[in-house]
Amino acid sequence: MSTNQWLATGNFNTAYQQEQRNFLTHLDRSIFSIFLILLYVWIPLMDLSNKYMLVVDNILIAIVAVMGLNLVTGFAGLISIGHAAFVGIGAYTVASFCQVIGDRHIIITHFWPVMIVISGFVGAAFGAVVGLPALRLKHLYLAIATLSFQMIFQWVINFMSFFNQGQTIFVGRVFWFTGKVGRKDHYMFWYFVILTIVVILGFGIRNLLKTKYGRCLVAVRDNDRAADAMGMNPGLTKVYAFALAGFFAGVAGALHAYVYRGVGFESFTLHESVGYLAMAIVGGLGTLNGSFWGPTALKYLDLQVEHLSEVAGQYLPSTMNLSTAMKPFTFGLVIVLFLMFEPRGIANWWRIAKSYTKLWPFRY
Amino acid sequence: MKTKTTLLFNALLVLAVVFAFSASAWAGKVYKIGFSGAITGPTSDAGNPLSKGIEDWFKYVNDTKMLGDDKIEYIIRDDQYKTDVTKRNFEEYLDEGIVFYLNYSTGSTLGLKRDFEEEEMPVAPSSYHEGNLVDSNYIFIPVATYSENVVALAEYVKNNHKGAGNPKVAMFIHPSAFGRGPLEDTKKAVEAGLAIDIVEVVEHGKDLDNSAMLKRLMSKGVQYVICHTVQSPVATMLKDAKRLGVQAASFGEAGKLTFLGAHYTGGSDLIALAPGACEGFLWTCSYNLTSEGNAKAKKQLDLAKKYGRDDKAANSHNYAAGILQAQIPTMAIIAAQKAGMEVNPENLYKMLQKMSGDKAFDSFATVGPVSYSNIDRIGVDLVNIYEVKGEQFKAISSIESEFMKKVRARMK
Amino acid sequence: MSYFFQIVVSGMVVGSIYALAALGLVLVYKSSRVANFAHGQIIAAGAFITFYLTTTVGIPIFFSFLASMVITFFLAMSVERIFLRRLIGEPIISVIMVTIGLASIIDGLIYLTPFGTENFSFPPFLPQDPLSLGGVSISWTQLVGMIITFIMIGGFSWFFKKSTVGISMRAVSDDQFGSMSVGISVPRVFGLAWATAGLSAAAAGCIIGNITGLNFDTLHAFGIVVFPVVILGGLDSILGAVVAGIIMGLIQQFASGYLDGNWGLNGTGDVMPYVILLIILLFKPHGLFGIHEIERV
Repeated sequence: MSTNQWLATGNFNTAYQQEQRNFLTHLDRSIFSIFLILLYVWIPLMDLSNKYMLVVDNILIAIVAVMGLNLVTGFAGLISIGHAAFVGIGAYTVASFCQVIGDRHIIITHFWPVMIVISGFVGAAFGAVVGLPALRLKHLYLAIATLSFQMIFQWVINFMSFFNQGQTIFVGRVFWFTGKVGRKDHYMFWYFVILTIVVILGFGIRNLLKTKYGRCLVAVRDNDRAADAMGMNPGLTKVYAFALAGFFAGVAGALHAYVYRGVGFESFTLHESVGYLAMAIVGGLGTLNGSFWGPTALKYLDLQVEHLSEVAGQYLPSTMNLSTAMKPFTFGLVIVLFLMFEPRGIANWWRIAKSYTKLWPFRY
Repeated sequence: MKTKTTLLFNALLVLAVVFAFSASAWAGKVYKIGFSGAITGPTSDAGNPLSKGIEDWFKYVNDTKMLGDDKIEYIIRDDQYKTDVTKRNFEEYLDEGIVFYLNYSTGSTLGLKRDFEEEEMPVAPSSYHEGNLVDSNYIFIPVATYSENVVALAEYVKNNHKGAGNPKVAMFIHPSAFGRGPLEDTKKAVEAGLAIDIVEVVEHGKDLDNSAMLKRLMSKGVQYVICHTVQSPVATMLKDAKRLGVQAASFGEAGKLTFLGAHYTGGSDLIALAPGACEGFLWTCSYNLTSEGNAKAKKQLDLAKKYGRDDKAANSHNYAAGILQAQIPTMAIIAAQKAGMEVNPENLYKMLQKMSGDKAFDSFATVGPVSYSNIDRIGVDLVNIYEVKGEQFKAISSIESEFMKKVRARMK
Repeated sequence: MSYFFQIVVSGMVVGSIYALAALGLVLVYKSSRVANFAHGQIIAAGAFITFYLTTTVGIPIFFSFLASMVITFFLAMSVERIFLRRLIGEPIISVIMVTIGLASIIDGLIYLTPFGTENFSFPPFLPQDPLSLGGVSISWTQLVGMIITFIMIGGFSWFFKKSTVGISMRAVSDDQFGSMSVGISVPRVFGLAWATAGLSAAAAGCIIGNITGLNFDTLHAFGIVVFPVVILGGLDSILGAVVAGIIMGLIQQFASGYLDGNWGLNGTGDVMPYVILLIILLFKPHGLFGIHEIERV
């Protein structure tokens, strides 16, 4: 082990305990802390407009959802094309409470952290149930089973009058110690809340992967029969991977319900499921930081394409639908290009950049 | 997670600067109006011509100096029928300082209802859902609601039914709240004394064959099928009905089915999807169709020609819907200018509420005058009943739903 | 009773159209182990190409139908060459996502044209009056659709059983390295599989477009609708696609014929295939006719 915890380069672990640390060096920890503080202060300093605050909040919610998807698809290797349905289940848990006790009830407005946790657990329960086919199904068959769940979810929401047949169910404004969170502070308030949740869950995943359960996930992904032979329980692991993903999705759904102050089924369609998968892949499957890169990159791209095509649309004949055609086109192109040229996603660039700075000025 | 925020931060900064400078200096005032709708994605067959109508009308207003030196700056965004994108667009428009907002889908209109209330922003949606009016004060529906359309059709069936007894009616509806809302109102109208029997309600799926359903309706003695959905399933059903030979040759022919449909089931799109099979189809709509060939239609076609639209868009009733939707804020601005008031959301809201009696405006896009008051937030109450004759919709009568008023009175 | 038979016949007709739409998916999966999520877009493209050639260029519809099949043949082949060739051997999720990305790209391209948003329909070219047999009726379009389905499926079955290329395609699906070692060009087989899938997609597109009218949203939705069919039949079985297609058609028609309107249920025709699919998968995880792969550690 290096004597200087600030300037250490390379790995000098002499005990197993050392590898289990969250930060290898003091420098690592300091950079991370500073960065975390920056994340908390930049928003109040920047004074972003509501639109961009909403975009930022939206990205953070997507990060929560994609972290879950990354657990089940990236780490455990079980393809899920129904993740938006799990997010929807979280959102509709909040919505159900609103329907039963009224959307301005004290439980909804004051005990919202409890609501978020409850939604997470409901999501987890559904995740476990939907994960059951994973005991027998594999690969594409499993992917289609999750697709079926997505379709059934959409039908049920659309059909039941309890869920307002898919039309918006309102969620009241929440209270904080300073009083009711008004329209002006709404997005800012939720930025802090979601950021905190992202940090907590991020550390959660990081630590999970250092435990037996985390390593189980990876082992089952790589070869479930081999894992079985080594005494792990692949069936249980698969179900609990789905349950974990369901938990993350449920939390994301509850956050979505609160940030948008309403739940409507358009936000949880197959299209969104595909979007989450794309985010996970562009970010980098099976990496924690990929869950942060992917949503940011794709949502940001979406926004930029909108602006760009609006500018381009002014110089083109109005009969061409260029401005609107660009969105799906670039979305698809980015996915395809990443898969063709950087299948490990943006997380791989991050890894390369990190190892470069670690060894600089030497190449090896 | 580290560099992404700085990247975002920088780009946002650049964007903010670009936006700040893009607003050009003008002699008169510039009023901003935003529209967010499904130009692509689900229902874009309606949303696309609609957005063209909005764009052309605002261009026309600016080009003909309808507002004197002042201009309208319109922002049109595609939300692909996603409520969260609509919300983002709306937030942006608010930051931009719009004076009036144009919305599109039912889902987003209902979803953003509370935001409209809080922001006190007058809104004209392209969704004519009855529920838009519940618990809201700022939503101004351009024309008769879907429920009014469907109930008006039911009334028309009752008034023109020749056989003995109540006419037996089946409802063919979209499997969503959009389809079910008007169904509920029709049931309420029946409770209020509308003498029809609703024998069966069919919620369609992505069906490739409706023979079984049609045969079932026949065996139950159904004579009229009132549709409230979009064109494509209606087209499939009409083709099957024609094939089975169960289509009535004239209205209410005994032992056959007469098909009727509300707003989104008809128009030139239906003829495009089911040419030949839609003969005799009855359709309600508050818009003036170009196939009428009247002076109003000519104005619409001239506008489309002026801005280089193709025939398909020019003749679409959705194009007319877009024009009307854009005319509502325009007229409110003109009224505010006349009254010497500042043009802002608050005053436009006041102006719209006074837009009744002699202040109601007559649009070339619609069949009747557009009027609003502090209790009436539905523009055109009149609906035309069109019938397909020789691959064209021709008006056969106009009707204002009586029973819908009763239903609304009962609700209160 | 005639109601019952009508449902059976309608179910069979709808089912065989599903089978045709599903055929393209099976063909691709059979040889290259790729689940093609862009199939619906190719179906739509095939229909629009036929329409364009017929109305704008003015070719008789029968020839434009053939031409469209040829065009999608090469279109799908080039898609394989450009996008999927690089991904041979990549994990299944990458391959799925590439086809999803591809679907999105084609969406964007179609939105550039008027076909993305507007409604059209084919000029009528078949007799409009129905065929009636003892109170059960089907349309000429449906009948022709059924015939084309069975011709194509019969043709492909023969092709896979007897022709050299077909046998080499089966060999590749069985063991890629093994078939390489006996001199089969694996990339060529993949290209061919995609091309034939494109061809069948165009045929399916024209038939569906004839029934529902040409609307992009309606058409490309079939790419997803047929997934339960393929899975139920087993991903790599042509026979499975036919049987499952007909089963699904029947389930759908029976659900909407007998469930809808009773017990407050409605619109079950759309969701029942997925429910049945989940139940069947629990008992037969590889579908009805799918090959049960033996996995080794």
